[in-house]
Amino acid sequence: MIAIEHLSKRFKTAAGKDHLALSDINLELKSGEFVSIIGPSGCGKSTLLYMIGGFIPASEGRILIDGKPVAGPGPDRGPVFQEFALFAWKTVLQNIAYGLRLQGKSKAEAEARARVLLKMVGLERFANFYPKELSGGMKQRVAIARTLAYDPQTLLMDEPFGALDAHTRTHLQRDLLQIWEEHRKTVLFVTHSVEEAVYLSDRVIVMAAGPGRIDRIIPIELDRPRQRSELMFDRRYQEYITQIEGMIDAFETEAA
Amino acid sequence: MTRHIPSICAGVALLLLWEIAHRSFGLSGLPGPVSAFRALPELLSDGDALYDIAQSLQRMAAGYLLAAVFGISFGLLMGTSPLAERLLNPLIMMIYPIPKAALMPILMIWLGIGDASKILVIFLGSSLPIIYHAWQGGRSVSQIVVWSAAAMGMGPVQRLFRIVLPAALPEIFIGLRTGLILALITMVVSEIVARSNGIGNLLFNSMDMALYDRMFAAIIIIAAMGYVLDLIFEAIRTRFLRWSDSGEHIQVAVG
Amino acid sequence: MTANSKLIGLVPILGLVLLWGWLAASGMAPRALLPSPVDVVQRLFELLADPDFLAQIGTTLFRLVSGFLIALVLGTVLAVLSASSEVTQTAVNAFVRILAPLPKIALYPAMILILGFGHSSKIALVVIEAAFPIYLATYQGMRNVDKKLVWAARSAGASRLHCLLFVMLPAAAPSILTGARVALVISCIVVFLSEMMSSTEGLGYVLIDAARNFRTIDMFVPIILISALGLGLGAGLSALRRKLLVGYPQD
Repeated sequence: MIAIEHLSKRFKTAAGKDHLALSDINLELKSGEFVSIIGPSGCGKSTLLYMIGGFIPASEGRILIDGKPVAGPGPDRGPVFQEFALFAWKTVLQNIAYGLRLQGKSKAEAEARARVLLKMVGLERFANFYPKELSGGMKQRVAIARTLAYDPQTLLMDEPFGALDAHTRTHLQRDLLQIWEEHRKTVLFVTHSVEEAVYLSDRVIVMAAGPGRIDRIIPIELDRPRQRSELMFDRRYQEYITQIEGMIDAFETEAA
Repeated sequence: MTRHIPSICAGVALLLLWEIAHRSFGLSGLPGPVSAFRALPELLSDGDALYDIAQSLQRMAAGYLLAAVFGISFGLLMGTSPLAERLLNPLIMMIYPIPKAALMPILMIWLGIGDASKILVIFLGSSLPIIYHAWQGGRSVSQIVVWSAAAMGMGPVQRLFRIVLPAALPEIFIGLRTGLILALITMVVSEIVARSNGIGNLLFNSMDMALYDRMFAAIIIIAAMGYVLDLIFEAIRTRFLRWSDSGEHIQVAVG
Repeated sequence: MTANSKLIGLVPILGLVLLWGWLAASGMAPRALLPSPVDVVQRLFELLADPDFLAQIGTTLFRLVSGFLIALVLGTVLAVLSASSEVTQTAVNAFVRILAPLPKIALYPAMILILGFGHSSKIALVVIEAAFPIYLATYQGMRNVDKKLVWAARSAGASRLHCLLFVMLPAAAPSILTGARVALVISCIVVFLSEMMSSTEGLGYVLIDAARNFRTIDMFVPIILISALGLGLGAGLSALRRKLLVGYPQD
């Protein structure tokens, strides 16, 4: 379980002024929950994710994971970035085996496990390719497999499908849901797409900017496993989307 | 001011290191910084030494300015004409690794040990990076901007001076800076090879005559030349690039 | 580039050689001042068969390669040190800012007096000239590494040191190798000049020795050789770069 208590983040601007990026965030994530964060640009949603990852320190407040405060990055929380962040000098297989090798597994053991994951993301034919030889969607599949390889309890996904075309995006959303149904990891998913958030999540956190804060948390009470083709005709699904779209529109008019 | 503190500390640390090396080696060839700096006023009040330094700077200025004019025109030609680029690129790549200062002995035989050979070698030593960066700068100018300027009725000469040159200026300055450093180095080397006068001559003559304090004073003078030229160059660059920034705004309006 | 457009680049090079040949043949320039290109090439092959001359090349190569390799290690180590923390970064860069504008060649007499007239003073000059471009390229390269690459590694359980050496350093490899190429050409030039200014062996010395005895033809040969050495080593490094950077996106 992840508990976020009175979390704030201040930055120094170039002019030397204090900028409050996040103000008094309070949130609890249950184990195995799929939660999306959505909000206008500048609301600090990625910053929040990076603080949970332990990549940047909090200014005030704390983050507890199973009761222990976060002090830095760790293999219990696996990030997936929009930019893929794959190691260009390693092959697909070596990328996926990376975390396992760090944990002291033998090369053979790590690669055997990497092959299982590669099969799971449907790229077994590309084991010996370099990342630059793959399309954007394939790169993100590799990145997800690399993170799943060291078996984190939580996945921290920072607009993971934001750089992909619509078609690839739909495929990856479906596959991600399938993997999640199977492994039931806690997922924190930052996105710009309301539709994506509603389709994937148990709860959608709507954030507002200036300073970044949680405006509302909306439970998505749709049955699982979800089929996108069925949801399209589900009135509740459409209502969720319209409701959240409306809230974000209102923030943006307010800001402008 | 506070951002200079680390550099000042580093400078002091280097002087201390020098002093420590002086004391621990105990070589006559390595006097301490104190005696080297003490030899400095003596050297600078010596008319011959001042003449040497003036001669050096004069030749360097002549060679460098020639290289700047030639290099920028040549580089921009390559950057704007694909034919010139294809024609000259292999030649430039071939000349690049030739140690230009090594041509000094041959040039001496041809032109004598006077100013002509030294100015020519400084010119050769500093022009290549200037050509190279002017070429890259000219290449990077957006073709669309040039086309729209042409569509607005700008002639080729106007386009060169009002569009291409300002847009290539930041890159040209990179070349000019590298060229300046090379001009200084080539100048010193040319004077060491063809010893008639100049600061390089002063440096090696002091070594040969075992006037080590004087030799280190000459090193300090050459180092100071490096710093002063660097400062002057930075000042000019900031001035020009401020102007080129406003030039870029014009470009945006044109594009 | 097509073969045709490459060929066109040979025109000015051939033109220059022909002009040289014509100048030498026309008698406008006395042979003692300007030997013909044919004579120079002939002399080049003659000398390449001479074991004494090969030993001179060997000396230059030894100084060049050892100086370059020391500079490569020194520049890279300093860059890693600089990238490892704010404090080391400020400290290393303070020294770099002081030493970079200094014409290092001016320190050469001091190196001779401290290290002697042999190999070490030449190697030392090569090291301080070549270490700067390598340091700067590596430092810039490591600074520009995507932070998220490091974050991904840290999450997988990598230590800070591991990230520095096995994530940031390889990610900066393209930039390091570009710096190394620049440094290699500089090393070639510097080792030659150092031998010209004071040495009793090496290609630079061959040039000065020929100049003292007014053997013009023997002055052309070492200059051509050191340039060819620079071109050849540079091409070798480029080939190595393509091999090493097989997975990296093209720049």
